[in-house]
Order: sequence, then C-alpha cells, then structure tokens
Amino acid sequence: MGVWGFYISTLVIYFGVDLLSGISLNLQFGYAGVVNFGYIVFQAVGAYAAAVVVLGPSGGVASFQQYVFGARLPFPIDLLLAAAAGALLSLLVGLFSLRRMRRDYQAAVLLIVSLIAIQVVSADVPLFNGANGLTGVTWPLGQIFGIAPVPNSWIYAAWVLAICAVVFAAVVWLSKSPWGRSLRAMRDNEAAASAMGLNITALRLQVFVLGGAIAGLSGGLLVEYIGAWSPGAWGYAETFVIFTAIFVGGVGNYRGVIVGVLLVPVIFLELPRFLPAIGYPGLIDSLQWVTIGLAWMLCLLFRPRGILPEKRLRARRPAPISVAASAPVEGGV
Amino acid sequence: MSAANLVPGSSTRSSPGPGAADAVLVAQDVVVSYGGVRAVDQVSVSVERGAIVGIIGPNGAGKSSLLAALGGQVKRSGGAITLGGQDIAGMLPHERARLGLARTFQTTSEFGRMTVFENLITAAEGDKGASLKAVVLHPRQTREREQAVAARAWEVLRRFEMEPTADLYGRELSGGQRRLVEIMRCLMRSPQVMLLDEPMVGVAPHLTGKLIDDLRQIRADGLGIMIVEHALEVVRQLCDRVVVMAFGKVIASGSFEEVVQDKTVQAAYLT
Repeated sequence: MGVWGFYISTLVIYFGVDLLSGISLNLQFGYAGVVNFGYIVFQAVGAYAAAVVVLGPSGGVASFQQYVFGARLPFPIDLLLAAAAGALLSLLVGLFSLRRMRRDYQAAVLLIVSLIAIQVVSADVPLFNGANGLTGVTWPLGQIFGIAPVPNSWIYAAWVLAICAVVFAAVVWLSKSPWGRSLRAMRDNEAAASAMGLNITALRLQVFVLGGAIAGLSGGLLVEYIGAWSPGAWGYAETFVIFTAIFVGGVGNYRGVIVGVLLVPVIFLELPRFLPAIGYPGLIDSLQWVTIGLAWMLCLLFRPRGILPEKRLRARRPAPISVAASAPVEGGV
Repeated sequence: MSAANLVPGSSTRSSPGPGAADAVLVAQDVVVSYGGVRAVDQVSVSVERGAIVGIIGPNGAGKSSLLAALGGQVKRSGGAITLGGQDIAGMLPHERARLGLARTFQTTSEFGRMTVFENLITAAEGDKGASLKAVVLHPRQTREREQAVAARAWEVLRRFEMEPTADLYGRELSGGQRRLVEIMRCLMRSPQVMLLDEPMVGVAPHLTGKLIDDLRQIRADGLGIMIVEHALEVVRQLCDRVVVMAFGKVIASGSFEEVVQDKTVQAAYLT
C-alpha cells in the first residue's frame, strides 16, 4: 500500500470514528436537547477501557507505562467493554448532572466534568499512565487473522465503516420510533412533555447512556487503530469539533451529520494534517481551529439549520371512510 | 354563594366547594410559596366530572401557581391534592399525567419543531408505550399502537377542523392554533381532568365561540375542566362554578352571576 492509500484509508477511519461521535451527539443534542459539552470524555474512557484490556497485565511502576486493570482479553470483549465503560461513566455523570438541572447548567457541568477529567487522568499516573498516555495497543480482531491495522488500514477502514453502518441504522430506527419522538418533545418543551406523561429524567438518562456507549465504542475503535491514547487526544475542544459538524450538517438530521462529519473533522481538521507544512511551524494547526470556528459562525449566520435541516415528517393521511363506519374517539372527544 | 377567606392574609381554611364529594380532582388547603411570598395560601378547590370550574382574579392572584401546583410543575408547601381519590400531592408531573391529569400552559407550549400531527401522537404515547424498552422489545405492539394513536389523532384533528395544519410545525401556527393544539394534545391523553391556563389568549375572536362550544362538548363527554381565564365573558358562558382568587386566597366562589355581585370581588378587581 502506497502513501496515498494509507493517507486516504486513515481519513476513512477517522471519518467512521467521527461519524459515530456525530451520531451519538446528534441523538443527544439534536433529538433530546442534551448539550453534552463533555462528550469527548466518554469517548476517552472507551479508548482507555479497550486499551487496558488489550495491553495485558501492567508491569507496575517498573514498566515504561502504568495502568489499572491490565488484561489481555479477546475480541469482542475489548469493544464491548469500551462501550460499557462509556455507558457506565455516562450513567454516573448523568445521575448528578441531568436529573433536576436546567439545560444551560447541564452544559456547564458537563464542560467542567471534561476539564476535571483531563486533569485527573494527566495527574494520576497509575490510572492510565498520566500525560504520557498508553501505547502499544493492538487490534484483537486482527490478531485472530494475524493482521495488524497498519499496513492493513483499508481492512480496518472497512471494519469501522461496517460498525458505523450498524450503529447508524439502529440509531435512525430508534430516532424514528415513538421513543425518538418523545426525545424531540422533551427537546422542544420539557414542561409540556412532562405534563404529557413523559418521564424527562428517565429519557435524558437513557439518551445520555446510549450516546455514551456509542462514544465509548468510537474510542475503542480509534485506539485500536492508532495504538496509543493520551490526554492530548481528548481535549475539550474535540467536543466542539463534533458540535460544529452537526451544526454545519444539520442538527436533527442524520444525513446532515454525515455531511457535517465529512466537512468538519475530516476535510477541515484531518486533511490539513497530511498537507506539506507551510508558513511558520504550527500555522496549519492554528488555521484548522480558525476554520472550525468560522464554519460554525458562518453556518449560524447564513444557514442556522445546517446544510440538511431536520426533515419534516409528513403524516400519512387515513384512507377515506364513510361517516357511518367511523368509530367514536376514545376519551370522549 | 360561598365566600371564604374574604380578608387577604387571613388563615381561615376554605372548602373545596360544592360537589366536592363527587369531585374527581380535589385540592385542600394548598400552599405554594416562592421564598417568603405565599403565592397560593391554603386554597381549596375541586372539579367534578362533567363540570367546568373557572378560576378568576386580578394579576398576581396566584391562579397560575395554583394550576402549576395541581399539575406538579411547582412544589406545594402544604395541603393535599387527590385525583380520583388517589393522593397525587407528592407525585411528579408525568406521574399525575399518567393518572389522567392534563394541562395547558399560560405561555403556549406546543412542540415547535414537531408537526401538529406529531404533537398529538406524542401526547397519546407519553407513557410506557413510548418507552425504550417497549420500542426495542415489543416492536409489533408498538407499531400497532402507533396505528391506533394515529387514527385517533386524525379524529381529533377533524373535530377541531385542524386537518389542514397536520403537517405544519408547531412554531408555524398562529397563537390561536397553538392553543387548539394544546387542547387537542390534552384530549389525546383521554384525561379525567383538564387544567387550562388562559386558553383564549391569542385565539381569534371568530374562533373563541367555537372553542367555547368545543369545551362544552368536552364537558358533556364527562371530563372535568378547570380553567384560568381573564376574559370574563368567556367565563360567564362556559363555567358552571367560578372561584375568585386574590392575594393567593379564595375570596369568593359560586355562579358567575353571584361572584360578580360580590363586593369583595369587585374590590379585588378595583385595587
């Protein structure tokens, strides 16, 4: 595989991982109105969970890296644990941040959780090797077939896209279900939704945990490809990249999320990483973030509902029936 | 006419009103405090099946706070609330709704980015039928239920002549149409009691008469309705009994004709 093949396949993998993030955040924010400014933490915990069950037992302080719960577990336990870790952390965070708090306060709390988490993980070296992070993570599924993700990055890309397709189909199905409609009602007016019999706290927690599981899964997939994970990979700004993607693509529209993820994290953010350096060192990195910020602002200014806005779901008209055959409406209307 | 707590600030206990024994919703000595202010001060009201009870009073009388306490949107600091004989005072709003209490809000509360049709079917599904568990584990029952709910939504839309708006977003409706959507949403829940907070605000004058007729029909179907309304003509035409509040207390109750003759009521409206 040539340089271009590796380059493009890597972009496809990043696209897949970011698409999982976009799906998760769109479900939480676009459908349920939960402003998860701490999203990246749930991806990170999935990555760490997958890493420690792939790396094998830790060598302790004598080793070049320390971590908790070192094990070498086979596929698919690695990814299941990644998803479970994202879900469990979401449940714990959700229980104190989502129950009886206004939406703007929730967003602030989740952002603070993100900032605290990165400090704790960086400072507590025995947890996940501190700021240096973990390295040497392998791909358990590939090991069964005797292949590594590099140089088999196209195979890994296909694997990531297959998982994306399954998650995408499942989340779209759930979003169109009565449960998904309840989420949208909660998003539009919590008090009215509650007065209509919807348990707002339960809905918020459900969507938060489900989104956390997808985030954890995306972290597991990413760490098994790049082989390393450290606090540098999950700064709070990464969350805003995904938010920008769904704003640009279209909040509440999963096709819009695909477009947004393709444009923002892949084309705006990842593509320039592989371009030849221009100007002074760090210029490209800075321009990436300028581009992200501009994209969000321009979108809010000129197309506030995104490139592909949330679709209006037209009701299917009932077949004409005779007056005599029509039944009285239950509830005495 | 019964007049209770005539003096603002008095702690005299009020009675839920005539017919309380047959009432489906009974509030007894309900207190709502915001900080040190008693917005609702030992108020007792009741609604019977097939009756419309109007709550009137000057601004700041505590009418909307009373409705919010009944619906569970604000916590009461004291008093008892029962629905169909069941104590609901400690319940959350969704639990009260599932027992048959439906309400509209002072500020229209349509689901703005959902169509009118979706507003209706979501209201009907606002219980365990729309739960994640039901959707995932019982997809066939969910689908069948969805079809039944959709059929019912079309009936309600037809009844209120709102079929042409079915595919409009809630935010695209006029103020009056939004009020209608709220009422239709309540009906989709097959409630025992409806609490309507200023349902005529924003409704075009030519629709007001129709809405009054619709509410009378709903009453005839056996629902209890409690309505907070500023338009006294609407109250006169619609309500079987009127409760007048001022300074958080009930100052009078009885028929519309009785309470408007009441000197205390006249004084409350003039001050």
